[in-house]
Amino acid sequence: MSPAVDNESADHVDADVASFAASARARVLRLAARKPLHVGSALSVIDLLAVLYTTVLRRRPDDPWWSGRDRLVLSKGHGAYGLYAVLAELGVLDDCLDGLPGHPSDGIPGVEAATGALGHGLSIGCGMALGLRRAGRDQRVFVVTGDGELDEGSNWEAAQFAAHHQLDNLVAVVDRNGLQQEGRTEQVLGLEPLADKWRAFGWAVSVVNGHDPAAVRTAVTGLIDRRGPGVLIADTVKGKGVSFMEGQPSWHMGQLTEEQLDAALAELFAGQEASLS
Amino acid sequence: MSGTTMRAACAPLIEESVRRCADVMTLGADGHALFAPVLRTRPDRFVEVGIAEANLVGIAAGLARTGWRPVVGAMAPFLVRRAYEQLRVDVSIPRLPVVLLGVGGGLSYGALGPTHHTVDDVALMSALPSMDIYCPADAADAAAVLRHCLPPAAPTYVRLTARQDPQVFSADTVGDPREVRLLRDGRDVLVLATGRCAAEALAAADECADRGVDVAVGVVTCLRPFPDAQVAALAQRWPLIVTAAEALRFGGLGARVAAAVADHPVRLVQLAVDHRHPPVAAHEELLGFYGLDRTAIAAAVATLLVEG
Repeated sequence: MSPAVDNESADHVDADVASFAASARARVLRLAARKPLHVGSALSVIDLLAVLYTTVLRRRPDDPWWSGRDRLVLSKGHGAYGLYAVLAELGVLDDCLDGLPGHPSDGIPGVEAATGALGHGLSIGCGMALGLRRAGRDQRVFVVTGDGELDEGSNWEAAQFAAHHQLDNLVAVVDRNGLQQEGRTEQVLGLEPLADKWRAFGWAVSVVNGHDPAAVRTAVTGLIDRRGPGVLIADTVKGKGVSFMEGQPSWHMGQLTEEQLDAALAELFAGQEASLS
Repeated sequence: MSGTTMRAACAPLIEESVRRCADVMTLGADGHALFAPVLRTRPDRFVEVGIAEANLVGIAAGLARTGWRPVVGAMAPFLVRRAYEQLRVDVSIPRLPVVLLGVGGGLSYGALGPTHHTVDDVALMSALPSMDIYCPADAADAAAVLRHCLPPAAPTYVRLTARQDPQVFSADTVGDPREVRLLRDGRDVLVLATGRCAAEALAAADECADRGVDVAVGVVTCLRPFPDAQVAALAQRWPLIVTAAEALRFGGLGARVAAAVADHPVRLVQLAVDHRHPPVAAHEELLGFYGLDRTAIAAAVATLLVEG
């Protein structure tokens, strides 16, 4: 059940993931200079999606609908452009992402479910995981949620269900950037102790730095190998990679000026060069 | 199929569909009446979700996205209202093959009160971009609907009643539930009824006959897709039409008949549920309260003839 990454090549893989994620971030930033979008959310989730798509998910590069693929549902649909950028990096989507909707919709290659109405993805993921298991297939299902999204009670119905039915092939990944539209999650509606809540619902829990590809990959692999459903609480930074956006609720949704885009790209590529040197 | 409930009539058909089709999966929310035969013969094809209707519908969508054809059964008020966003986003928009069986639609939970009344199901389901809607009139009609809808091929809602209903159809007359079935001919007025109101319409026709008024009765079970052409053809013969439906007007039988006969010189009286708070009363009494019982239908016929 573990992804096919051996120890010798792990460092190389993680460097590739970081480079992949930087390119995906650049796509999001260029788009955000052309139209307003949920740029902060896209930047916080990109590292997680990059790790999952490039090192964990079993997929075929030339066929996004391959019947044997693992499934990834982006439940935090407002992170759509993070997903689109990753899918474009993979060649699943064309380079021109401008016409795509602000939340993942049916009919877009690589989009497993329409999301954006929050609190739907984990239930859909439960159905997928159960459906695959009852069909005798060994595919895994990954559901990426927001943290503010966990305010929605349907998530906890699904959490209860997954544990009751011991869905070994289901992993949830919480993009724990600590911010939602109107401020810090703990001020809007406190989630902590979040890990204990998942444990109390019967899930295996890992908590890692969501911007550390090696840590994310290792934790997800460990959760897959555990019995029952697993959740990765990934500590992330909203707007990650662009200093004037990081941790700023005002960049939940926004549009960059040309000057801001130039500054953001310069910072992004400087950081990328530094990590490679 | 007299002397049985809709649930009892449907349960063996669901089990038969599970046996015949390797990709049919059933789901329930702490209610097994529809699935008892499946649980006996193929427990691996039933999913217990518990009292969690939003999750129930989301899980059905996930199952459908991995190749299963889900049959979902739950109490109608909670299936329709609590899970409405999941019905729209997860099932209806992507047009997944999911059949939804809502038990206790309309006023059939009677004295259990307005939390359990589901007079808005037809309106809500009509507002979805894709959702076939059936309101069977009795157990035989419900069985005919299921024979048509299983295995699931499209988003489909079937309103089932909670208790045993008066018999409307025989095996000979039940026919195709997608069509209007004329159960009684008559020259003066046509009553089109759906669901439990079909039995009231037939009784009303008897009452009218006692007074020398000749009433025809047609039963409309499939509200979406609606048999527009057939209804328009009926309107050519009967310029006076009464509709009776145990549901709000929006998207309901009356509104659909009005649209179908818009190009015809028809006088139409629509009997439907309004927003008055109901008394604590049994199903039959509530039909009277909302003006949907035999007495109210007969009165509507009389009014049409006087004003016609």
